[in-house]
Amino acid sequence: MIKLLTIDDSRTIRRVISGIGAMLGFEVLEAENGAEGLAVLGEHVHEIGLVLLDWNMPGMNGLEVLKSAKANPRIRHIPVMMVTTEGERDYIIQAIQAGAVHYQTKPFSQEEMATRILEAMGMGGA
Amino acid sequence: MAISREEFDLIRSFVHEHSGIQIGEGKEYLVENRLTVLMVQNGCKDFIELHKKLVADAGPLRAKVVDAMTTNETLWFRDASFFSAVSDFIVPQLMEKAARQPQVRIWSAACSTGQEPYSIAMLLDHARRKSRGQQAPPLEKFQILATDISPSVLVIAAAGRYNQLAISRGMREAFLERYFNKTGTMAYEVDPAIRKLVTFQQFNLKNSFDGLGPFDLILCRNVLIYFSNELKAEIYRKLHARLTPDGLLAIGASESPRGYTSNFEQVMVGGAALFRPKKGS
Repeated sequence: MIKLLTIDDSRTIRRVISGIGAMLGFEVLEAENGAEGLAVLGEHVHEIGLVLLDWNMPGMNGLEVLKSAKANPRIRHIPVMMVTTEGERDYIIQAIQAGAVHYQTKPFSQEEMATRILEAMGMGGA
Repeated sequence: MAISREEFDLIRSFVHEHSGIQIGEGKEYLVENRLTVLMVQNGCKDFIELHKKLVADAGPLRAKVVDAMTTNETLWFRDASFFSAVSDFIVPQLMEKAARQPQVRIWSAACSTGQEPYSIAMLLDHARRKSRGQQAPPLEKFQILATDISPSVLVIAAAGRYNQLAISRGMREAFLERYFNKTGTMAYEVDPAIRKLVTFQQFNLKNSFDGLGPFDLILCRNVLIYFSNELKAEIYRKLHARLTPDGLLAIGASESPRGYTSNFEQVMVGGAALFRPKKGS
């Protein structure tokens, strides 16, 4: 089964994303900070189909995690979607330029997030 | 950098032209929120460049923009008074029809993630069970066509899998028990017999309705409110042409075809207002 990985310091967001993943038929792995997220990515590199990455977290921020993942040849192929309260155009440009495939601002509706996940994984149909 | 007036106007007129949907004044945040990623992903520095690309290229980018702008939340049995009319009056009428004609066709014209067509399918099965099989037509006699302009929501709808939050939005306890199978710890799957009744298909209401129907019941609720008056008139005419002479059109409680066409008459069904083709129209 394809897995999603949510890296977010908010337990609520991780739970919401786990619920949406379940609806889409994906198991969801969780990490509460960037370092833990990178470790989980390394451990499950062949199973994870998408990373949902928060921007503002204690320790490494999301952009640093993204850059670190993209610099690692073992995990750089795994698509990353930013999930963040930062909706400014400049943030989105930075994330896409750093290798994020998609970007979802918080708050989000369940339907919105579900369709963004499918799009990010190339399963959206459009 | 916030979206400019010029950018907003260009994008909203594009979305209107290609989907019929009107993005209202003050909805700049919606365009910004949903389309900035596509803008950046496509190498555009602003929405004016994105608009140029959209005009020049009829490929998947157009579909992605329309898709991003049309995702809406939805509920099971949305609008309690409407669904009690469906359950108490419309479903029994459809059962009678199914007993005397080969097929009964229903169209959910903007089905989003599938709650509306599955709700109808469950009510049909529920009515059959209540009749304890006496003279009840088989479920195969019913066909539900469920369409939406957004291909992404249709992926979710066709999977028929919902989590606790989606279920909590209006699903009845008894129906949850009867019509869903729990998968894993967090999701519920619509029973295959119910899913079999519904065919999902991507469809833009701006397109020709040729080849669709005729339908005994069309649900087009809270959809046309997003369309211009000209398009509303055109769609009401097309809906009228796809209804059987005694078919029913269900629209939102605040909507009416009056002012757009004179081909419908209002009928009160168990406290809910529905519309049927005027005789001879």
